[in-house]
Parts: sequence; C-alpha cells; structure tokens
Amino acid sequence: MSTNNKDNILIKAVKIISKAWTKYSFVFVFAIVLVVYILTIQANGNTFRWGHISSILSSQNTVIVGTIALGMALVIITGQIDLSVGSSLVLCSGVTIMAFNVTNNILLTLLAALGAGAICGLINGLLAGFAKMPPFIVTLGTMLIYRSLTLSFVREIDPKITGSSSSQFSLISENSNYEFLRMQFGTGSFPGISVPYITMVFVLTMLLFLLISKNTKYGKSVYAVGSNEKAAHLSGIRVQWTKVTVFIIVGILVGLGSFVQACKIGNVTPASSGKSYEMYAIAAVVLGGVSMSGGKGNLLGVFFGALSYTTINFIIVSIPSLSTDIQDTFQGLVLILVILVQTVGPVIKERFIDFRKRQKTKQLDAT
Amino acid sequence: MNILEMKGVSKAFGGAKALKDVHFSVAESEIHALLGENGAGKSTLMNILTGVIPMDSGHIEFEGVDYPHPTIMEMESVGIAFVHQEINVVNDLTVYENIFLNRELKNKLGFLDKKSMIKSTTELFRNLGVNIDPNNMVSELKTSEKQLLEICRALHEDAKLLILDEPTTALSSQEVDHLFGILRRLREKGKSFIFISHKMPEIFEIAQSYTVFRNGNYVSSGAIKDTTPHQIAADMVGEEYIDENLYISRPLGETIMEVENLTGHGFSEVTLSLRKGEIVAFTGLAGSGASELMQTMFGVLPSVSGHIKIKKKVVDGNITSFMKNGVGMLPSNRKENSVLPDMTILENIYIAEHSISRKKPIISNKKEIENYHSLKKMLRIKAQSHLDPIHSLSGGNQQKIFLGRWVNTEAEVLLFDNPTQGVDVGAKAEIYKLILGFACKGKTVIINTLEIPEIKKVSDRCFVFFEGKVIKELTHAEINERDVMLYSTNANYDKGV
Repeated sequence: MSTNNKDNILIKAVKIISKAWTKYSFVFVFAIVLVVYILTIQANGNTFRWGHISSILSSQNTVIVGTIALGMALVIITGQIDLSVGSSLVLCSGVTIMAFNVTNNILLTLLAALGAGAICGLINGLLAGFAKMPPFIVTLGTMLIYRSLTLSFVREIDPKITGSSSSQFSLISENSNYEFLRMQFGTGSFPGISVPYITMVFVLTMLLFLLISKNTKYGKSVYAVGSNEKAAHLSGIRVQWTKVTVFIIVGILVGLGSFVQACKIGNVTPASSGKSYEMYAIAAVVLGGVSMSGGKGNLLGVFFGALSYTTINFIIVSIPSLSTDIQDTFQGLVLILVILVQTVGPVIKERFIDFRKRQKTKQLDAT
Repeated sequence: MNILEMKGVSKAFGGAKALKDVHFSVAESEIHALLGENGAGKSTLMNILTGVIPMDSGHIEFEGVDYPHPTIMEMESVGIAFVHQEINVVNDLTVYENIFLNRELKNKLGFLDKKSMIKSTTELFRNLGVNIDPNNMVSELKTSEKQLLEICRALHEDAKLLILDEPTTALSSQEVDHLFGILRRLREKGKSFIFISHKMPEIFEIAQSYTVFRNGNYVSSGAIKDTTPHQIAADMVGEEYIDENLYISRPLGETIMEVENLTGHGFSEVTLSLRKGEIVAFTGLAGSGASELMQTMFGVLPSVSGHIKIKKKVVDGNITSFMKNGVGMLPSNRKENSVLPDMTILENIYIAEHSISRKKPIISNKKEIENYHSLKKMLRIKAQSHLDPIHSLSGGNQQKIFLGRWVNTEAEVLLFDNPTQGVDVGAKAEIYKLILGFACKGKTVIINTLEIPEIKKVSDRCFVFFEGKVIKELTHAEINERDVMLYSTNANYDKGV
C-alpha cells in the first residue's frame, strides 16, 4: 500500500513539474543558464556581484535584441516571420543619427527613429500581410535591400550630416544635447539602484507589450490569427490588417532599438552593425517558449529569452580558453537543446506515467 | 463465427477511465454499428484495436489469434484497416498513386510500373462499382470520392475488417446510398465492418448488429432487427434522453432580414424574408447552394447581383458590416472554421465580441468572466475552468461555446450552418432546445441542415434548395421527411409534377 502511495505522489510531482515546465519553461531555462554563469565566474576565482547582473541587463543583446524580439514574437505568433530586422536596424540607426546631427533635438530624433522603423515595417507588412506574399521571402528581400541602401547612402551623404567620414554614422559630439543623450541616458544608470536607463526602457516596453498581448482585444486577435486564421476571419477579425500591423509594430520596436543603440554606442557601421540580429531575435523568441507555428507564446517569456541568450554569451566569454569564434556554436547548441527539451519533455512525461501504470497493473495481476 | 473478439479491455488516461472492462465482438461478414455519445470510448477502443495506443489490460483475438500487444504495423498486416473521419488521402498525388502509396509496383529496372498500377486500380474500381478515373489528381475529387478512395485503398491492402469512423458526415444522401451499395456488396464477399455513426436511420439501414457504449462502459449489444432507434438512443444517453416534441408555435415579429433576387456563387435569384423570432431551415443536398447562400448572407462570399436588406437597409460588403448589423454565423466544419485550438475557452467565446467592440480596446477580465459564467449556465456548457484549452471540451460542448460566441455579440439574426455536425444525440437535442430558446427571446435563426427530423422539431418554415434555387417553401405543418427528400432530390420534376 505504501509503495502505491509513493507512486501516486511521484506521479503527481512529475505532473506538477511538467505543467510548470510547459507554462514557464523560460524561467527554468534562465535559472539554469544563470546558475552555470555563476559557477563559471566562481571557477575563475571571482565572486558573483550585482554588477554581473547589471551588465547582463544593459548588454546590447538584452536591450536591443530583446526589444526587437518582442515585436518578432508578435509576428511569429501570427504565423509569420521577419528576417529584415537586422538590416532595418542599421537603416533606422542611420536615420536616427542623422536626425540628431541635423536637429540636435531629442524628441525629433526619437520620432525619426520610430517613424523610419514604422515605414520599414509597413513595407514588409503590405507585401506579406496585404499582398499575401510569403513573409519569409518578402523579408529576405527587404533584408538585402535595407542594408544595401544604407551602405550606399552612407558614402553619398555629406559627412557633416552622417557625423563621420569613414562609412559610418556617428553622433556629432559638438551638438549641445550629445552629453545628455550619450552620457546620461545611453550609458547611465538610475541613481541608487544601479539599473541602466536603457534597461528600464526595455522593461517598460516589455510591460507595455505584455499588457497589449494579454489585456487588449488587439492582442487577442494576434493570437487568434496565428491559432486558426480561417476561424478568426469568420469571427470578424480583420486578418490582413492584423498581419500588417504586427510588421509595423516590429518596425517601431526596431526604431526604438536603433534609438537606444545610438545613445549607447554613438555610432553605427552599416557593413557590420546589426548583422544576424534577426537570428538572435528569433533565438530569444524561441528560448522564451513561443511556438514557431504560431498561436502560442508569452511575451514575458521573450524577456527571459533575451536574458538567457545574453547570459549564454557571457558564459562563453568568461571562459578564457574559449575563443569568441566558437561562441555561435555554443549558442546554437543551447538553442537546439532547449527546443529538444520542450518537444521531448512531454513525450518522456507520458512514457513515465504509462510505465508506472503498467507496473501497477502487473502488481495487481500478481496479487 | 466471430472474426474479432475483444474482452475485458480497460484503459485509463491519467486518472480518467476511458474504458472499463468492455467487450466487443464482430462476426464474419457483418456490418456492426458501434454506438455511443462523444466520450463513450468508441475511439479509444478502435485506437487500441489498431495498435495506436496500448491497452492497460484485456484480450484481443482476431481470426482466432491472440494479440496481447498489438502494434499499428501488425494489425494492418493481419487485415484491419481504419478509415478515419478526417480523410487521410494525399491531395497532391493521383488516385492510383494513393492506392499504391508505400507499396508501389516496380518494373525490372526499379522504376515505378505505372501501367500495372493503373490497370490494377481500374480493375479494383470496376469490381467495387466505383466510378473514379485512376489518373485524376486527388485534389480534384469530391469529398465523397475521397472517402471511397480511402475505403478502396484499405480493400486493396486486402483488409478483412474495416473500421469506418463516421463515413457519411460529409456526404449527400445520394452519395451515402452509393457508399452503402458498395458496403453491402463487400459484405456479401465476406468483409466485415465496424461502422461508427451518430445517424440512427443509417444504422438501421445498413447494419446487422450493434454495440452501445456509455461513459467507457459496455451497455448493450444485439441484432439490429431486434431493437428500435428509440431503444438504442435510450441506451446511448442513459436516463437523460427525452424525445420530446420541442416545437412551440409562437407569435412572430416584424420582418428583419430580406434577400431580394440574390445571385451568388452556387445559387441564383433567391428571394426570401425572415421575421423577428422566426426559425427557418435551409435544406438541400451537398452543392444545392444553401450553405453558399448562408455565407453570402454573412459577407463571407460576395454576391453577384441582388440585395440583402436588414431592417429595410441594404447591407453590403464584408463580415464586419454584417456583424455590425446584428448578424452572426456559426460555420460548418467546427475544427476547420470555428476552433481556435491554442486558445482558452474564454478567449474562444469572446473572439467575435472583441472584433465587434474593437473601438474599446481594453479587455475587462472581471466583466468577461462574469458574463462567461452566465452564458455557461444559459447554454448548459459542461466545463471546468474558463482558462482550460478549448480542446478539453467534448464536441457538443465546443459547439455550444461557438453558439455562445454569437449570443455574446448580441446578434439578432443567427445563421447556423450544420450546427449538429459531429455532435452526439444528447447534445443535439440540447442544441435544438437552445435554438428554440433563442427564438423565444426574439432572435431570428436560420439552420442549414440535412437532418430532416431535426428540421421538423424546431423550424417554422423550411426552404428546400436544389441546384442553387429554392425549389419549395414548406410551412411547419407541411414539413415531413418524405416530402423534403422528394423536393431536395427534385424527384417531382422528373415525374413532371
């Protein structure tokens, strides 16, 4: 009798864990990654401090990729994809920096960043969502277009506007607002709690979009379109409109990311900046537990996904014997591992319960 | 002699017992109806028999051989074939390629031997009286032909026992007759069938014996000739079953919706008007245009000419404008057109309301949950938490959620396309009761269905469609199974009446 009870408790525990795992897998993933990071820091003879966390929080991979990933998640939830975000990031960064160099006005600079992003997204949206072309191909095309346009413009435009004569866009430090934008906002932290301002921008954006996805009718329609497009259409949802708007949203978030990037780094090189960011953003989305087939996913997960992704980077960098060239290999492996656990986990659970049950009936047969 | 014997089969999923020590046997060359509401355990038993899922305990004997741990491959090879409710043919291949899928004939060089495959398919079809060109693409076939193709494929693999899971759901009555003709011929040749269906008249037409399950228990079995539809229905639903006459004659309000000379995809020059609180039935064989008319009345399909007026105002355009004018439509094919599979019960019942009230973008959770509970009570939905996935509900309860989707928008005209599709007897009766309830509250309801007894139960008027035209309008008193059938097959025309 007691073995039976033990069995029941075991099965119950497995069920609870697997339920939590399926719902909050992203927290588990981040926790595991963080523990590994702490261990590697200690193995290097250092002690783990708040500073480590704070540098994860303010890393480009967290803040900029994370901001983009929020939009990417919405696009993926509707069952589409956007490969152009890395390229539109450099395009928008160029526009942002030029806007600042010309106007020396922070608000106008921000509006230019968001506006440029929205236009990039609108083009993708009209082609993919409205003209019903495959989003993979459309955004592959605009990925090539946006970057090459930026590359060719940077050489043509007056260095007084681009702020640099070496195929770069760079904030002009003579502008009176440069000090505030770069030193206070871009690299500064909230006094007292030492959380970078740009991280707070990311967190606030995440909270805003979490709210939109969970508590607005628009958010529900995004999920509905990805879950069953036909049923959504027959329930009166404007499917095409929804598909266009998610591209505009990811565009605006790319714009926000480019503004933050300009403030944090001060310059952007069209040939190399933002390369593979679309892949990093997709990785953060997947680590965050969003289903690539659409209809499912939690934006809070994307936040943790971005954190996990950055931490994995930090682990690799903190192991002295590893060259940074091997970084992508580890990132790739971790990504595959996480997906493996997500897909195989439920199967293992079922096998386990089945196995226990068969043992039990065998026992009953024997008695 | 029995070809199949299943004894003492039990199966539990988690804590829920899906099958409790049931027996089931099928004799040689018989069509055996397996009956029960959704969730009675029919599918579980068939999945065990075909090796899809393992049983917890029990014995399976097929042609005298014991199969303690059947696998899919094993059961296929000994001659048990499962023809699924969702049709499992490959659309992008030709008919003969489907027949020979995974067992293609090859010539000496190892290339596909098309000629022999086509020849042997033609022969198979001739023997069965199936009229399909082996060279056609499957995507061009009608649903009924796909169904036949799947049966032919099973027979070609030399199946001795075929499991047909609701094979007639997508078929018109002519097609059903054709299918039944083939089944009878095959039975005479010694094949056995397990026939799963919710439609009582079909069972009494085709089957020789039956077994009834309820809630995972064996309830009864015997020869069809020794029982009555009423008895079987009672066995299926237990004591809940009440075959009452639902219809209540009631005063109707003013005209609310008018269709004037409307022509569209699949129908032409239809004129009709609906009154407040009225229940109108559309009926007709597949392809009669009734479903297309309904979809045009909701803006899903465009009209070619003519008008649709709601409260004397011409309404034109897309779904949104019809929704704003108080129309709601429950489409046919629940899985394809209604279910949002990744979303919760609450989200599923609110999705249409959200799109009609999108000008107020923020959701009030508290209000929605309160409202959901009153809808749940009114529609008698059996569900645990509003946050459970829609899939946790049975077919009948899912359908009630989708009825609720439109009650929730406060639509005044409700269009229900095949509302009792894939729903068990008990839930069917409940859905019709709900429909009458809507009408009593002043809503106008149109039902498109082929189930004539149900039309009689609730509707005030019935429009019979034939080849895109309204061929007859019947009042409640005039509705009877024989006449509706006559008109919908246009038998009168042939006799020159």
